[in-house]
Amino acid sequence: MTKKQYERPIITKQQSGFMNKFGAATVTLPKTEIDGISVKELVENFGSPLFVISERTLREKQRNALRIFKTRYPKVQFAWSYKTNYLNAVCSVFHQEGSWAEVVSEFEYDKAKKLGVSGKHIFYNGPHKSNESLTKAINDGAKIHIDHFDELYQLIELTEKFGKKANVAIRVNMDVGIFPKWDRFGFNFENGEAAQALKRIIVSDSLVLTGLHMHIGTYMMSTEAYRIGVNKLVSLANELYKNNGIILDYIDIGGGFPSNNTLKGQYLPAEQILPSIEQFADAITSELFSLKYDKKDLPTLVLETGRALVDDAGSLISTVLATKRLSDGKRALIFDAGVNILFTSFWYKHLISPGQKTGAFTEDAKVFGPLCMNIDCINENMTLPSLKKNDLVVIQRVGAYNMTQWMQFITTRPNVVMIMENGSVELIRQAEDLEYIMMKERLPEKLRLTAKK
Amino acid sequence: MKYFTDSIAFSYSQIFFCNRRWFGYLALISTFVIPEMGALGLLGVIISNSLALYLKFDKEKIRDGFYGFNGILFGAAASYYFQLTPFVVLLVIVFLVITFFIAAALENYMYTSFNLPGLSLPFIITLYIFFIFITNFNIIYYKELKFIDYPFTAQLPEIIKHYLKSFSLILFQSSIITGIILVTGVLVFSRVMLINSILAFIINYIFVHLLFPNPSESLIILTSFNTILTSFALGGSLIILSKKTSILMILSSIMIIVFTGFFIRLLSNYFLPVLVLPFNVVVLATIYSLKFRQDFSELVLLYFKPGSPEENFYYHQNRKSRFGNFKAMLPELPFFGQWKVSQAHNGSITHKDKWSYAWDFIIEDENNNQYSNLGDKVEDYYCYNVPVNSPLDGTVAKIIDNVPDNNINEPNIKQNWGNTVIIDHGQGLYSSLSHLKPGSITVNENQIIKKGDVVARCGNSGRSPVPHLHFQFQLSDKLGDKTYKYPIAYYLQTKDDKLLLKTFEFPEQDNKVRNIELHSALKNAFDFKLGSELSFDCKLNDKKFIEHWEVKVDILNNLYIESDNNAKIFLYPSKKIFYITNFLGNSKSALYYFYLNAIKIPLGYNKNLKWEEKYPVSTISKNPVRYLSEFFLIFKPFITAESAFNFKIKDTNEEDISIECSFKVRGEGLFSFYSQSAKGEMVIDKNAFIKSISFTDEKNIFFANNKLSMEEK
Repeated sequence: MTKKQYERPIITKQQSGFMNKFGAATVTLPKTEIDGISVKELVENFGSPLFVISERTLREKQRNALRIFKTRYPKVQFAWSYKTNYLNAVCSVFHQEGSWAEVVSEFEYDKAKKLGVSGKHIFYNGPHKSNESLTKAINDGAKIHIDHFDELYQLIELTEKFGKKANVAIRVNMDVGIFPKWDRFGFNFENGEAAQALKRIIVSDSLVLTGLHMHIGTYMMSTEAYRIGVNKLVSLANELYKNNGIILDYIDIGGGFPSNNTLKGQYLPAEQILPSIEQFADAITSELFSLKYDKKDLPTLVLETGRALVDDAGSLISTVLATKRLSDGKRALIFDAGVNILFTSFWYKHLISPGQKTGAFTEDAKVFGPLCMNIDCINENMTLPSLKKNDLVVIQRVGAYNMTQWMQFITTRPNVVMIMENGSVELIRQAEDLEYIMMKERLPEKLRLTAKK
Repeated sequence: MKYFTDSIAFSYSQIFFCNRRWFGYLALISTFVIPEMGALGLLGVIISNSLALYLKFDKEKIRDGFYGFNGILFGAAASYYFQLTPFVVLLVIVFLVITFFIAAALENYMYTSFNLPGLSLPFIITLYIFFIFITNFNIIYYKELKFIDYPFTAQLPEIIKHYLKSFSLILFQSSIITGIILVTGVLVFSRVMLINSILAFIINYIFVHLLFPNPSESLIILTSFNTILTSFALGGSLIILSKKTSILMILSSIMIIVFTGFFIRLLSNYFLPVLVLPFNVVVLATIYSLKFRQDFSELVLLYFKPGSPEENFYYHQNRKSRFGNFKAMLPELPFFGQWKVSQAHNGSITHKDKWSYAWDFIIEDENNNQYSNLGDKVEDYYCYNVPVNSPLDGTVAKIIDNVPDNNINEPNIKQNWGNTVIIDHGQGLYSSLSHLKPGSITVNENQIIKKGDVVARCGNSGRSPVPHLHFQFQLSDKLGDKTYKYPIAYYLQTKDDKLLLKTFEFPEQDNKVRNIELHSALKNAFDFKLGSELSFDCKLNDKKFIEHWEVKVDILNNLYIESDNNAKIFLYPSKKIFYITNFLGNSKSALYYFYLNAIKIPLGYNKNLKWEEKYPVSTISKNPVRYLSEFFLIFKPFITAESAFNFKIKDTNEEDISIECSFKVRGEGLFSFYSQSAKGEMVIDKNAFIKSISFTDEKNIFFANNKLSMEEK
């Protein structure tokens, strides 16, 4: 007989009257292992907090998405959105699955090249592209997505200077009936700016128009927005074909599909209200078939899906540092992972599960991180079973954006491991230390406290 | 001049169903053992061919000896039967002209009326006219028929002498040496023909002795030379060699004896010789009768430009294995992405009897599940609501779009087919897509659609327990008509981690299949347009040369590439596969190595794709083992040549596509000791042209670089 688990007593206010309309009390199931590896063991080996990425989930998500699109449209190409998670191991899994790279900065461009992605397989997005990076992209034959007229002129200048041709597309923004309108990126469709830019590209001898690009938003909750967006791109493509005989290589509809995380403003859980990828795919592909191209010339559909593929594959294991009671009597939990490494807690009501078996009683709690900052609050109010110091928690669906937007603030960033398909655990990013942080710092001689030996 | 000597040589080799220049010269020389006989034969071919040229007959046919060989036979036969006086020679010249006209007329008549060759009928007819005509004179002397024997041949057994004499008689020569030369020539040209002639001779020898109590030597020789010629014609030259051809040879040998007996009696009244009449009658009757069979899969009549029996056999065998299921229309799978065959032809559930040749398709994920969640709603199934498209161009013949989707496991047995689109592809072929989602059909009746156009979405209507697509070919627009077996032209099949290329095949139970996605660089590199030219810098071992190719088309619309060093490949370009159907000529050329490397190339790039293809052995292997094995070709081919292909990304410049070829010639059975292997690689530049071709076997190292790629640099 195993020893019975100790459970801290909880005082719950009894309410008489009708039963809660949502039925029984919340049950939080513990998550004691990830892909068959014990959470406790992971922390013992790699410390806490710890980011864990599941290779299997990454591949499953990618294959699933690819299958859904490929069974609906003949030519499909995914491009891994680097900004969502550019850890080498993560990018490489996607590249192995056949994805190209979608980068938005020179840093990301160089990273993709370093990982072995051929220039031809890089989509170079973003409003800021330096002369140096554009020169590289031109020479590599990368697909450059132009954001504004100044960049268009910059490209014409560069290509003419080097006597080279550049493969380009323009990013088009349009009214797809949602708010906010992302009209700060690219050329507007409705006011004719996009058509204007295309004309300028067509008359240029050094720019080769290869595609059209849109990216209507992020965490999109409506398939209709995509349908309208693609419809507008297709009408541009049809015009180009009719007037100039141009057959585009691809139409890039960007990213923006939501993950299963629930936003802070949402009442019902994400799974219940969000459209499935199938529904997004149906909306997008059925519009593409209205292109007036010959069947064999249909453009490749490019998808820059990030969040929907990687979010579910990442987990953050954290340790309870302390529990305390706040002035209003509410229970507070302090984790060793805060907003410094869990940036997405600003948007999401993260699913947090205990990392070990717990009792059946739950209590409302406010969850804080370890920073000495008032904003370091992971969740204002969530129902959790009773947790005590040194208990583990698993914060789920944290694969997107956290490992790129995390901050080095007050403390260093933790280990990141990947659980491989064969069950082995690989360290894919080592925890930072003082040395690493100070490596790039330079101390002027006169400020030195101790004389140099 | 070369053209004219060629026309003479080919005229001689024609008599032996041979297409080799050297054989023609050998036969010519063999006739000069007795100079006057040779001279008259030569006179015959010169007059025939000059006349044909003068009158502007088809130059190609003249060169191939089409008109010349009857002249040779007439000239030789005249000198065989008559004392040559100036008057006779004059008459012979006149009759050679007659021979030519009769030959030209008869060839055409036989071809247009019966689709048969004229053989040596023109010669026989003219010779009979000649025989009867000269009875008007009394100044002409018949020769005494006698074979010239030599001291060194006297030792030979009688039966071998008969055999050799039969060969001599084919050219109306009375010297046994002619026979020896011809037999040696046949041995070098074709082992099959030699074996056939020996078999035919022996069979004839036995039957002659069985049927006639005491056959004379002349009867034996007469029948055996007819039988030998017949064995050439039916045993590989006009009919593709197989085990059945040997039975045909035995039967024809008896027929030859019967006809010889008949003609001797018939013609003796007119003092006419029997000559090759039995051969002509038997061969023509046999071949003509074979044209009226129901099944042409065996004893196949020659359907291409003839070569040696070996070449004919290899070519046909190769064609059968590569294009056996070939059909005029090239359907593809009626969907996007990868689907799985949940019920194939002759399936265990419903694909039986009249509906044997149908397919059911579903979509599965990595873990072989066909649905997510609980699978209790149609929406849970991966294939539900996924678009399906037309397998071929066509016209929408019929649509049914109002049958409701079933709940899971509640098939609708009242409306078996559910929502259906039936498409008319022309030429009597229809396809039918069933169990579609109600209201999803996006085409109208009589609408013209293209291959790959979306017509509807997969559903669960009709007799369908779970969402799936039912697909069948049929011969009418009737809903639920009898299925018709028609292959899918090309598709890819996933097997474990490998991807296999399938052409003209039928997806089988549990196969995971998808269409080929075209790769623009590959497609354009193999898109050989009529009139386009290519140049290669080549290196074969230490020899360097530049080779020039030109894409041409022949009168039968066969696209081919000809090199300036006398090699030719025939192409069959389809939308998604590039085929080389045959190679002819100089094998020390870049075109030959291109043929080995590119006999079949899918125009879609897939990292893991593997495929194999067989070559006609005659185009590959020229070595003693192969020639030895051909003595036994009548039983089976002992040597096979094939390659396994795959794609490889080059490390240095990953944009280029490399196709690797692992080439093998192997012996089987008796010849299993023999094996030869080689490696080839072809690089397709990212700018869509063939950049380089390389091939390394035990003896040769070949490398060719496209001059275009040099210019790029």
